Amino acid sequence: MCGLPKPGISTVLALEARDLTISARIGAAAVPAIRGLSFKLAPGKILGLVGESGAGKTMVGRAIAQLLPRGFSVTAGSLFFEGDDLLKMPPARRRALLGRAIAFIPQAPMTALNPVVNIGAQFNEHLAPLGLKSRKARRDHAIAMLTAARLPHAADLLNQYPHQLSGGMCQRVLIALAFAGNPRLVVADEPTTALDVTMHPPILRLITEMQRQHGTAVIFITHDLRLAAQLCDDVIVMYAGRAVESGPARTVLATPAHPYTRCLQLASPAMSAARRALYVLPDQMPSLMQLQQIAGCHFAPRCPLVTAECRRDEPPQVAVTADHTAACIRTNASRNVESKQQPTDVPALSGGQLLHVEGLSKRYVMNRGLFDQSRTIDAVKDVTFTIAKNEFVALVGESGSGKSTVAKLLVGLEQPSAGRIVFDGADLSAPSGHGGAARAERLQMVFQDPQSALNPRRRVASIVTQAMEAGSRHASAEERLERTRELLAEVGMPPDIAMRLPGQLSGGQRQRINIARALCRVPRVLIADEIVSGLDVSIQAQLLNLLARLRVELGFAMLFISHDLSVVRHLCSRVLVMYRGEIVEHGPVEQVFAHPQHPHTRALLSSVPPDEADKPWPLLLAN
Amino acid sequence: MVGSLLRALRSPRVLLAVVMVAVIAICAAFAGFLAPHDPAEQNLLSILTPPAWQPGGDQNFPLGTDSLGRDVLSRLIYGARTAMLVAVFASLGAMIIGAILAHIAGYFGGVVDWIIGRLVDVWMSFPPVIFSLILMVGLGVGLDRVILAIVLVDWTRFCRVLRSEVLIVRRHDYVAAARLLGFTHWQTIVREVLPATLPLLITLFSLEMAIAVVVEAILSFIGLGVGPNQAAWGQMIADARQYVYQSPWNLLLPIFAIFFAVAAFNLLGDGLRRTLDVRLAETGH
Repeated sequence: MCGLPKPGISTVLALEARDLTISARIGAAAVPAIRGLSFKLAPGKILGLVGESGAGKTMVGRAIAQLLPRGFSVTAGSLFFEGDDLLKMPPARRRALLGRAIAFIPQAPMTALNPVVNIGAQFNEHLAPLGLKSRKARRDHAIAMLTAARLPHAADLLNQYPHQLSGGMCQRVLIALAFAGNPRLVVADEPTTALDVTMHPPILRLITEMQRQHGTAVIFITHDLRLAAQLCDDVIVMYAGRAVESGPARTVLATPAHPYTRCLQLASPAMSAARRALYVLPDQMPSLMQLQQIAGCHFAPRCPLVTAECRRDEPPQVAVTADHTAACIRTNASRNVESKQQPTDVPALSGGQLLHVEGLSKRYVMNRGLFDQSRTIDAVKDVTFTIAKNEFVALVGESGSGKSTVAKLLVGLEQPSAGRIVFDGADLSAPSGHGGAARAERLQMVFQDPQSALNPRRRVASIVTQAMEAGSRHASAEERLERTRELLAEVGMPPDIAMRLPGQLSGGQRQRINIARALCRVPRVLIADEIVSGLDVSIQAQLLNLLARLRVELGFAMLFISHDLSVVRHLCSRVLVMYRGEIVEHGPVEQVFAHPQHPHTRALLSSVPPDEADKPWPLLLAN
Repeated sequence: MVGSLLRALRSPRVLLAVVMVAVIAICAAFAGFLAPHDPAEQNLLSILTPPAWQPGGDQNFPLGTDSLGRDVLSRLIYGARTAMLVAVFASLGAMIIGAILAHIAGYFGGVVDWIIGRLVDVWMSFPPVIFSLILMVGLGVGLDRVILAIVLVDWTRFCRVLRSEVLIVRRHDYVAAARLLGFTHWQTIVREVLPATLPLLITLFSLEMAIAVVVEAILSFIGLGVGPNQAAWGQMIADARQYVYQSPWNLLLPIFAIFFAVAAFNLLGDGLRRTLDVRLAETGH
C-alpha cells in the first residue's frame, strides 16, 4: 500500500493502521462506523483520506487522539505510531505524544484558538512542555515559527488576540503551532474548508512547505479528490466506513478502479474539459442505522455496476496494480462508467432583457458614538447588469465582496441607497404601495442554509405552499395539497415526504424543499445564494441537474451566487465577478475563464485545482 | 406544540409538578365543597384550637382554629383560590403585555427596539416590591387590584427575556423567506416567530405564577392585598404572628401552603424548560 518500505531498508512507519474498526453503540447493538481500515504511512509522506460527509474520515483523526465522540469506541484492530500501539499504550504516554510528536490542524480555525488569550500566551503554553525552558527561548521560537508560516510582524502578532486576525491568519497561526514541536505526524482535517477560496492555495502551500522542511508525515482529510491528487502522495477513498480504493494519489484520480471513485469524479463539474452532463448517484450515503441492513458491498445500492454477488458478499481488496487496490470485484468495468444523460441543452435565449439593474449601491453608515465621525461602508458600489429571459447568470467573488447584499437588494430585504431595479419595464425600486407583493410574484430567493431557511415547526407541505397563505389569500387544504404534490414531483421528491418536518430530512432533501418553496408561484427570476456550497459532491450534482431540468420545464432566469467556479462553469452562461462591492469583470463564462482580465478573477481561477491528475497546480509549487 | 407538551409529561419532574399544581387548582375550584366551614365563620368558644392530632384538638377543626376561632383548613383552601386566581390572571396579563412588546421590539428592531428597551430599563429600575406597594396604596385593596399591580410590575420580566429570543428567531432565513413570499409583518410574527418563542413563553408563564403567589402573600401580609373578608395565605401568617408561641401551627401551615405552591410552579417551569427548549434538547442528545 502506501509508501511500502523497500525490502532490506528498515524504516519505521510513522503511522500504521491494521484492521482498525470503530463502532458506535446504538441501543444494544454496536454498529461499525469504520470497518477494517488498514494503511501504512511512511515518514515524510502525505496520505489523503477522501470521501463525502459520513464516510468516517474524521473518525480516523479522532481515533489517533483518542477523542472519539460519545458512544464511539475502537472495537478491533490496532493503530501503530512509530511501532507503538496508540490504543494500548498508557494514557499518560499517549498524552505525552499528542501535541509534540503528533499534532493537529483543525477544520475551523476561528474557533480553534482560545479567544481570551493572546497568540503569544497560546504559543507559550504549547511550547513550555516541549523543553524550552526560558521564556525568551520560547518567544524566539514562536517568532521563528510564525515567520516561517509567512505571517508578517510576528513579534507584534504575539500580543494580538484571535478575533483581531482573519480566518486565513488564524489558520497560519494554527499551522505554526502544529509544527512548532517538530512533530513526526500531523493530522490536518479539512484545513481549508472554512476559508475563502482564494486562501486555499497559500494555506495548502504552507502545509506542504512545513511538511517538507520538517520531514513530517501528514494525514490530510478532505472531500476534494482533485485537491488530494495534487497534494498527497497516496490517497484512500472512503465510503460508508470502508476504504473502497487506495493507491498513489495521481493514479487513483487518473484511473479510478472503484465505481464510487469514478462516479465522484464524474459528479464534479470540470474546469477545463468540455461541458458534460454530471453523473448523478442516486440517493445518498447510508447512515449507520441503514448500514446494518446492507449485507454485501456498502456501495451496492447506489452502484451502476452492481451484480447479485455484490449484494451478497462483502468485496475483497483487489489489487489493480502493485500499489493500487480497490474493494470491488468489477474494477475493470469502472472506467467505462459514463454519465448517462445527455447534457441538457441550454434553451435558446429569447433575447429580451428581463431584469435590468442600474447603478445599484448600498452604503451602511456606522455610528461610532456622539463625538466620533460616523464611518460609511460601501457594501455594494454602482452595480449594473442585466439578465435575459431564461438566462442563468453567475455572480462570483470571495466572502465579503457584496454578493449576498446584491441578492438582498434585488428581493427587497434591503433598500438600496441608490440605483434602479427594472423588471420587465417596471421599476421595482420605486416606492409604491404594493411593491413587495408584485416582487414576490416575479422574484424569489433560495437561501444558502436550508437549516435556517426552513421553519423547523412547519411540515413540508406547509413550507412549499407557504406562498398560498400569504396576504389575504386563503387557499383551501385541497388546493394546497394538490400544489404540494406538483411541486414535490418537480423537485424529484416522493409525495409521502409531504407530512415530514424539515428535521427529518437530509441536507440535500432540505435544499430541494427550499427550492420548491421558491417555485410555488412560478417566479420569473430565481436568486440562488450559494445553494450548493456545503453539500456533498454527489448531492450537488443532483441539484445542479435539477436546476438545469427546471429551467427547461418552467423557463425561469436565475442569478446564481457562488464561489465555486467549476459549478458556475457548468451551470451558467454569463458571469459577473464581484470584488469589494464592485463588479470588476463580466462576460460569457468561457471567455472570462479563458482570458481573465482582472487580477481578482485570475486569483479566483487559479485557486481551483486542475482536473487532470498529471497537470501541475502552479500555485502549490510557486514560492 | 401539543405533542411536545404531552411529551413533557413523561418527565417525572413535570409529572410531579403537574400533580402538585392540580392539587392547588382543585382546592381553588371546589373550595365551596371541600372546606368544612365558612372561612369567615367565627367560633369564639374555641379559639386557637390545636390541630386534631394534638392533645386538646377538636375533630371538628382538623387543622385547628385561629385567634378568632376560624377553621384553618377552610381558610387554607379558600386561600388557595385567592392565590390561584392571582397567579393565573396576573401572569396572563403580564405575559400578554410583555410578549406583545417583546415581539414588536425584537422583530422591528432599530428605533422601536430602542424605545421599548429604554422603557423596560426605566420600569425595572423601580424596586419591584416598593413599586407594587405604591401601586396598592394608590389603587386600594382588592383581588383585581392585586392582579393589576403584579401585571404592571412584572410585564418587564417577559419583555426582556422574550425580546432576546425573538432576536435569535428573527435572524433565521425562514423569517426573511416568509416576507419574500408576501407575508405581512403581522402574519410573519404570528405564524413564523411566535411558534418558535412559545416554549419559552409557556416556561416563563409558569415561573411567573410562582412569583405572583409570593407577591400576593407579601401584599396580604402587610394588609395591602385582598380585602379583609377574603381568605389569603399572607393574611393568615400576619394573623398568626402574635400567637406564635401558643399555636405555632397557625403560622406553619400557611407558610407550607405558599412553599408548596411556589415549589409546584417552579418545578413545572423548570421541567417545561428542559423538555420544550430546543437548544437544550439538541445538546442533550
